[in-house]
Parts: sequence; C-alpha cells; structure tokens
Amino acid sequence: MPVYKMLPRADAYGYCVGILLLDVRQPFVPGDVGNATSYDYPVLYRTVPGATPERVFVGDPELNDAVIETAQELQAQGVKGISSDCGFFINFQDLLAEAVDVPVFLSSLLQLPLVSSFLGRDQTLGVLTANSTALGNQVLELSGISPERELVIRGMQDNPHWNAAFKDPAEVVDTDLIEREVIAEAMALRESSPRLGAIVLECSLMPPYASAVHEATGLPVYDFMSVINLFQRATHQKPYQGYY
Amino acid sequence: MPVYRTNRHAESYGQSVGILLLDAHMPFPPGDVANASTYRYPVVYRIVSGLATDVCLNGAPEFAGAIADAARELARQGVRGISSDCGFMLQYQQAAADAVDVPVAMSSLLQLPLIERSVGPGRPIGILTADSGNLSEDFLERAGIKPRNPIIIRGMQDEPEFHSSILDPKGTMDTDLINEETVAKARAIKEEHADLGAILLECSLMPPYAAAVQEAVGVPVFDFVSLIDYMQAGTSPRRYQGFM
Repeated sequence: MPVYKMLPRADAYGYCVGILLLDVRQPFVPGDVGNATSYDYPVLYRTVPGATPERVFVGDPELNDAVIETAQELQAQGVKGISSDCGFFINFQDLLAEAVDVPVFLSSLLQLPLVSSFLGRDQTLGVLTANSTALGNQVLELSGISPERELVIRGMQDNPHWNAAFKDPAEVVDTDLIEREVIAEAMALRESSPRLGAIVLECSLMPPYASAVHEATGLPVYDFMSVINLFQRATHQKPYQGYY
Repeated sequence: MPVYRTNRHAESYGQSVGILLLDAHMPFPPGDVANASTYRYPVVYRIVSGLATDVCLNGAPEFAGAIADAARELARQGVRGISSDCGFMLQYQQAAADAVDVPVAMSSLLQLPLIERSVGPGRPIGILTADSGNLSEDFLERAGIKPRNPIIIRGMQDEPEFHSSILDPKGTMDTDLINEETVAKARAIKEEHADLGAILLECSLMPPYAAAVQEAVGVPVFDFVSLIDYMQAGTSPRRYQGFM
C-alpha cells in the first residue's frame, strides 16, 4: 500500500469525474449524465449557479467565472477530469481547458471529429440534438468537425413529451413516450440520408435511448456517456488480468 | 426472442470487432491489441498477408487494396467495427473506412485531436511510439491529423528488450523489462515538459504498460485499447438498469 497525501479541500476521495450541472430541477433518469447510476465508477456533481439552458445554449460570457470556479472546486475535490450535463457547454470548452489542470470534456459534440474519422468519405454523420435551432454552424464549428463531412441534424424541440421533460422544474418524465419520440427522430434522420454512417446524440438526457436508437436504425450511436467513459478510462488506467 | 437469419459469409456469430493484424509473429500478452482476453467482448483477427512490421512502419501504400479487401471480408462476417494492431496503419484509415459501412478505427493516433482539445491550447502531448524514426508530424498530417498542440514524439526502437521482442522478434518477450523501458521513456518526457497534458501510446503492444506509465507520470494516458473500447461501445450501446 502506498503513502497517501491529504487534499486540503477534499470532502471525500475516489471520485473519478467531476460533472458541471445546469442550474435546473429535472428528473435525471438512469442513463442520464446527471444520474450517478449511469457510471461504473463514482462521479461528483456541482451545479453552476445561474447556468440556465438559455444562457448555456448561447455561451453567455457572464457565466465564465461561475463555470471556472465550479470546475476548480471539483478539481480541488480530487476529480481527474471534468465534464458537464449539457452538450452546449462546448461554448466554455477552451476557456475551461486552460483554467484547470485536469482534462476537460464538456460536450458530447467534441467527439464529432473522431466519429467522423471512422467513416468513409461518402458517408454522412447524423446529429440528434435537444434543439436544432440552437445548434447553429457556430456551435458545430466549436466541435472541430471538418467542413468536408456532410452532417444531417435533427432536433427534439417539437416533441411534446420531450419538452415536458425539459421544463424547469419538470416533475414527471415518461421515458417510454420519450423513447418513441427519439426513435422517430432518429428514423427521420436515417430516411433523410441513405448514406448515414453513425449518429451522435448531443444531449445529456439521450443516453437512456441510445440502445433503442441503435436497434431501430442499425447504426452505431455515440452519446455523452461515450465521451465521459473514454476520458475516465484514460485517467484511470488499470493493469490487465487476461490469459495467454 | 427475435427471429435470426443466416449470414452465409459468417463462420461464427457475435464477433464485435474485427482486427487486422500485421504479418508478424511475437508474443501478444494480455492487454495487447492482439490478445483476445484484453476485451470484454469477442473480437476476431485476420492477418494481412505480407504486411510485415517494418514494411508497415516504413510506409507501404501498395497494401491499401489488401487492407480494404480484408476489412470488407471482416464486415461480411458480421463484425460491427474494424481496427488493427499497428498505429502506423493510420496510413490505411481512409482506404479501410471507404471500403465498409461499419466504423473503422485503424490507429490509436486518431485520438490525438480529441486529446488536444481536452488539455487546452499550448499544452504538450507526448506520443510514445514503436519507432520515432518513422512517426513524424508529416506522417500524421498525411493522414489528416494536423497537430495544434506541441507534440513530443519518443520511440522505443533503441530499447534492447523492446527491439529484440517486437521490431526484430526473438520469440520471447520479457514484459517486466519492457515495462521499465516504457516507463523510463514516459518519465523522460515529463521531466522535459512539466506541463505535459497527456500521453498517447501509439503502439498496439503498449496498453499492458499504460497503468504503470500513468502511475509514474500522473497524466491521462490514451492507448490503442481505449480507442477500440470507445468505438465498440457505440456499436453496441448499453441499456441502463439504475435507479433515481
């Protein structure tokens, strides 16, 4: 057993990933980024005061200090990486990556270039987002996706059960009904582009439906959890115990 | 239980990832890309006949057609994603990705842009490679990866046990010695670059040493298996069984 050092500001130890939360009250179901049972490892949550979806969607610079301070608090608690529960936190990605020492991976959209690199030149890449009107070219550009990749985008904003889950406070989330809405939008993505190679789910509320989207479309599906799990793995490498 | 159909190209079923292998013979210990016990899911291997280690490392565009054929053959067998056991197969990424509909991740190096993004602009990234004589920024750029951060490339080609086990294989491999050689190289990068953001292990034989490198250097370590696990997770998204 090694010698351990105290972290002066840590309440407890062993948290792998720190997750910045929007300042909302909604039910985060299993599979949601904001539900601790979605992970095979411990995560630590902190709400960013004043971070409403509207302000995060546009990257309101008045939130910069709160985002940095909340992330620094998570880092002081000992987390080895920092993520968030909204794909639009990508607006703060570069700012925050410079402000803390641990790796920062605030958005599911950051994986667009990597997933794109997996595809053939004639394939398209689908993005299913909470709100396709908010997901403009400016936000997509922040992901670093090559302009040569043809993207097809759909948003959930016209679906009533989805919208009910997005109210603040939202009291009831009917995941069966939302699953149907998410599948319908994913099938529409697929129908709009016969050469669709993969789907990226932008929103932190979508991982519970990734499996259903995969089964309905037959396509690979990358979501917020894909990014968080990759970084958790890279920050907590373990020896292998296999056979030869 | 659903109705299943015969795939007349398949010898067996349930193979998650198909992995193209160099035509090279040496021990592949647990944690190596070419050891099946490295994964929590089944993988299937195919040797690319004639593509010896030195041929691949020196660059061999004439093998692009054979790689594309092998990728097609694996896809017909039913694999959901395709990878390889050499980071230098980055040179075939486009050829393989264009040949099949499933996602293709031929090289650990594909993770570089995402890693850069997570550590912020300006922080150096260390790449440990089997052969730094052949891995240049030019090689990366030819494959469409344009580094934005300072990249520190260090090779294992002159390390006695690594060289005699892998580059000029004697038929045995002392993994304790290679562990020491690999950790020493990683430590040297960290000593020269105190603000090192992350280490990326190019070589498919290096994941067994990722945990030791991480413990020695204290930064995130990405390797070939972190990429394959990431790709695979998207091709078989999980269902969540947590609670609220």
